[in-house]
Parts: sequence; structure tokens; C-alpha cells
Amino acid sequence: MIASLLAQAGDWTSPSIDWAALAPEIVLAIGVNIILLLDLQLAETKKWAIATITGFVLLGSFVAVVVLAVTGDGARSLFDGRYVVDDYALILKALFLLAAYVVVLLSQTELEEGGYYQGEFYVLLVCSVLGMVMMASARDLVSIFVALELLSIPAYMMAAWNKRNRKSNEAGIKYYLLGVFASAVLLYGMSLLFGATGSTKLTDIGAALLDGDLIGLDVVAVVFVVCGFAFKISAVPFHQWAPDTYEGAPTPVTAFFSVATKAAGFVALMSVVFIAFPGADGVYQPLIWVMAALTMTFGNVLALRQTNIVRMLAYSSVSQGGFILMPLAFAGEPGVGPAALNAVIVYLIAYAFMNLGAFAVVIAVTRKTRSGEISSFGGLFSYAPGLAVAMTIFFASLAGIPPLAGWFAKFNAFKAVLDAGTTAAYVLAAIAAVNTVIAAAYYMRVLRVVWMDEAPDGDTSPVKSPAPVVAALAITVLGTIVLGVLPNLIARAGAIDALTGAFAG
Amino acid sequence: MSDATFLEFVVFFSAAVMILGGAVGVITMKNPVHAALGLVLTLFGVAVQFVAMQAHFLAAVQVIVYAGAIVVLFLFVIMLLGVDESMDLSIEPIPIQRPLAAVMAVGLVGLVGAAIVRARDALIIAPGDGIATAADAGTHDANIKQLATNLYGDHVFAFQLTSVLLIVAVAGTVLLTRKWPKDVADTESSDA
Repeated sequence: MIASLLAQAGDWTSPSIDWAALAPEIVLAIGVNIILLLDLQLAETKKWAIATITGFVLLGSFVAVVVLAVTGDGARSLFDGRYVVDDYALILKALFLLAAYVVVLLSQTELEEGGYYQGEFYVLLVCSVLGMVMMASARDLVSIFVALELLSIPAYMMAAWNKRNRKSNEAGIKYYLLGVFASAVLLYGMSLLFGATGSTKLTDIGAALLDGDLIGLDVVAVVFVVCGFAFKISAVPFHQWAPDTYEGAPTPVTAFFSVATKAAGFVALMSVVFIAFPGADGVYQPLIWVMAALTMTFGNVLALRQTNIVRMLAYSSVSQGGFILMPLAFAGEPGVGPAALNAVIVYLIAYAFMNLGAFAVVIAVTRKTRSGEISSFGGLFSYAPGLAVAMTIFFASLAGIPPLAGWFAKFNAFKAVLDAGTTAAYVLAAIAAVNTVIAAAYYMRVLRVVWMDEAPDGDTSPVKSPAPVVAALAITVLGTIVLGVLPNLIARAGAIDALTGAFAG
Repeated sequence: MSDATFLEFVVFFSAAVMILGGAVGVITMKNPVHAALGLVLTLFGVAVQFVAMQAHFLAAVQVIVYAGAIVVLFLFVIMLLGVDESMDLSIEPIPIQRPLAAVMAVGLVGLVGAAIVRARDALIIAPGDGIATAADAGTHDANIKQLATNLYGDHVFAFQLTSVLLIVAVAGTVLLTRKWPKDVADTESSDA
């Protein structure tokens, strides 16, 4: 019987695989297993080593990305163009790995001191990063969906990590239920898209949608797919899970969600918008326009009223999402595409540094004050001047004050929108300008408390930050300043011809 | 072809009724065991549709994995949690949400239905138009072969990474059900 089966298998040829192009993913996948096995073997007193090993796994993967970037000559296209490793993918992979590394640094002490350390945290973190790294290269609906699940499912569990805290449980269950609902919407849209175009490959879908007029089914499919991703990037009106999840989850996990998972959602959205939907710009552009305007306005107005700093950063992260979304509303206008793609990528990179940094300061300070209230940050300058300065840098950058990274990101986003030159573009730019001012108000309010107010209970003993948190602060401060002073480093990142490497496959 | 078409229509129609009836049952039944059985009906209906489309392998997998394993798992969970009596679902925290959900559902069905009706002409795929069927290949296992080519060729990377997803699921299940060490659990019971 085996022989007859083997005889039938004669015409099988295994796909040729460019293993070097998959190296970052392979390193991470092996790393997951190493961490899982070591965690079983290590004695309770040596558990700190797990975080270090996780750092090395991420570093190994980062090295592979850098090697690919240095030696790469153009895009590497695998599986008939379904998985593409080009400059666009590599820069985002590097971003995900770096963000994850900072999160590992932040988690190291936070989880142990909170009394809810479990070694599997790092396993799940690396699995989630693996999903993101895969997402950056996925050019096929199937791999996009697998990547999305791979990055989301560990995240659901990480949100509920502090099992004895009711808010953490609430965070996990809300994130899980709404995330699964979003996956269902997305999957439905994908199945309609497959039914209407006959392919799951993004380039084929793009060609099919450009070929002739859009039919109603295409329109419904595009709307569903965009809405499915809108949950992941917490765009209004799909943002309800974000504040509760961000507040309830352990703070390092919140930092991870607000930067890495959000960036992954944007990457998926960019891949489908630029590769699969050029023929449907009349459908997604108004949709994204409305979502961007609502997202930045709602996020800002609600952030103004928060007294808890993590909750305020959660709403601020929602509103920053609106700014990142803004250029995509004009992605299909002639000549704007490259600028829009560039603006989103630059914003994602700058936002990763400044937002991770803001969370790092919050973690460092709350280790002492044990309070998330903004008022508890009073007098920070008098007893921890270093942290106060770092916090000023991050919040000023989030507000968009030059010469920090956030300023260049905002400038780029406005430029891309104004390039479109339509009435809709001017209106959106005006809304964004008003929102920049509102945002500055609540960022500055926190800084006033930090610099002007007295310490709430007269406790001015210095803050002792553990080495990993200091390292995380150093990385993020450096990133925020360097990107602001030398924006040329990333200004050309993700030129559109790099992304269209997908078409070559 | 015409005599076969009528039979195909009957099979399609009855399977569609099974799927929809089961789906409505899942959300309306008050007893969770009945809801799980409604799910079995839906999954069987999908399996029948697969058979009607010559996808015998998928139909078998559908019955074995979904109707067999997964629903049995549901029933086990229902049994272990002891929720086999009907629960009072009539209390509604937000009274408007049910009518609102109904309006949304009708609207969505109307929208998708209209889109499909409008797209009917554009979507009819001629035989041999890129999508091979078992009948084309002439052998019974062409279906499996095509599935394998797809899974282990074009989508092999996504397929492999699905196995990482299984690690996540196993690790997560262990974690979420694991008890805390006694000494830690006693000192702190924060609710803030």
C-alpha cells in the first residue's frame, strides 16, 4: 500500500525555499522552544536568566534581519510571491524586534516584583513577535491571517497575566472577545474577497480589482477587511476594548500592545491597501478618512479628562493611531502613495520609541509611588531629575515639539496629506492640526505636575531604577532624540518601489 | 446535466436549511446542550455541501474534527461546568441591544445578499477556469493531492507557523489553569 502511495507521489516537487530569507523567523521559532525547555529545567533561583535568553533570541533574529538588509540585493520573493522579504518588510521586522526587546527589559523586574512572574510570559512574547515578523512579509490572505492570530492569541493571555487582579482579568477577556469578533469580521471579508477575485494572493487580488468596475461584493469585502484591521489598531469606533485593556494589563504588556501589536495591525492594513486594494481606493479612502478623523478627536477629548496616567496614555495611543491612519486616507491619490507609505512607517518608528519611553518612565516611577494617578507624579523633578527630563522628552515628542522624533513624524504625515491637495485632504489636515493642540494640552498638564507641583506626601527619597529599566530608558531616549535631529536616517524608509517588490514575484 | 441539476438543487437546499437552522438554534436555544447539538447540525450541513462540491476529503475532516472532536469537547466542558440546566437569559443589562442587534443582522443580510445577487453574473466561473475539480483530474484522490500541493507548497510557511500557535495554545491553557504557589497567593489578594 505504501508503495502505491509513493508511486502516486512521484510528481511532487517540494517548493524551493530561500532559507536565508526566513532566518529571522526560524531563529525566533527555535528560540521559543529553547526558552520553554530551559524554563522547565532552571532552578527557581535562576529564573532571571530566562529574560536574558529571550533578549539573546531577539538579538539573534535582529542580526539575521540586519544581515539580510546589508547583503540583500532587492526583494527576495518566496512561495510564488506570497512571502516577500524586501526593505519594507525588513525595516518593520527590525522595529518589532527592537520594541519587543525594550518590553523584555521593562518586564524583567515588573513581573517579579508584582508577584506574578511566570517563565511562559517570555515564550508567549516571542511567539507574538514571531507573528509580527511574519506579518511584515506576508503577501497572502492566508499568511496574513495566520500571522494575525499568532500575534494576537499570546497577547490575549499576556493581558490577563496578573491573574489575581480583577482588572487584569477584565482586560484579558475584553481583548479576547473583541479580538475574536474582529477576526471573524476580517475572515468573512477575506472569504468574500477570495470568492470575488478567485485568489488569496495580494497581487492577484490587486490585479482582479483593477480589472473592470468594482462589483458590490468587492465593496463589502474591502469594507469588512479594513474594519477587521481597525479593531487591531483601535481606531474609533472599534476602540472600546483599548482603554480597559491598557489599564488592566500589566504595564509592560500595555506598552507592548500600544506599540507592537498596533504597528502590526498597521502593517497588515498597509500591505492590503497598497498591494491588494489600489483598485478600490474609492471604497477604503472615505472609510479611513472618517476613521482617522474620529480616532484622533475621540482619543484626544477622552484623554483630556483622565486622571490615571496609564489610562491617559491609552487614549493618547488611540489618538496617535488616528494620526498614523491619516496618510492612508489618501493612499490611492495619484502621486501620494509613496509619501503616505513613508509617512506611516516613519510615524510607526518614532511612535515606538517615544511611547515605549513614556511607559518606561511610568514603570520606573510607579515602582516607588505605587500609584497610577497623574497627581502622584508631583515633584518628580525634585527627587528624580533624570526621570523628569526623560519624561519631558517623551511627552514633548508625543506632542510633536521639534526637534524630537514625534515632530518629524507629524510633519511627514501632514506633508503626505497636503500633497493630495484635495478639499478632503485640507479638511482632514485642519482636524489634525486642532487635535495636535488638544493633545499638547494634556501632555503639558502632566509635565506641569512633574516640574511645578510638590511631591504629594513630601516623600522625596530618590527613585532607584533597576538596570534593565535604565537600559530601556536609554534606548528610547536615544531613539527619540536621534530620529528628531537626524530624520534622514528613516526619511527614505519604505520607498514605494520597495513595496512593489511584491509585484515582481 | 439537467436531471442532475435538480438533484443538486435539492441537496444544496436541504443542506442550506440544515446549516441555517442549526445556526439559529445555537443562538436561540436556552439549554447549552441543545445549542451544542445545533452546532452539530450546522457542521453536518457544511459537510454535505462539501460532498456536493466533490470535496470528499474535506467533508470527512469536517465530520471527524468538528462534529466529532470539537463538539464532543464542548459537551464535556458543559458537563464538567455543570451548566446543563437552562439559565435565565431574559435579564438584559442593556435593554436596547437585542433589537439593535436584530436590526444590524437584517441590514447585514440585506447588504451581503444584495451584493451577491448583483455580482451573480460576474462570479460564474466556467469549468477549468483556474479552479480544478476532482472531475477534471479524473481520479478520486485528486482532491487530496490538490489540497496537499496547496498546503505544502504555496502555504507551507503559514502551515508550519500554525504549529507555533499550538504551542501557544498548550502553554496558555496550562498557565491559565495553574494554581499560584501557596505562599505568594496568601500574602496578596489585591483587587485594585
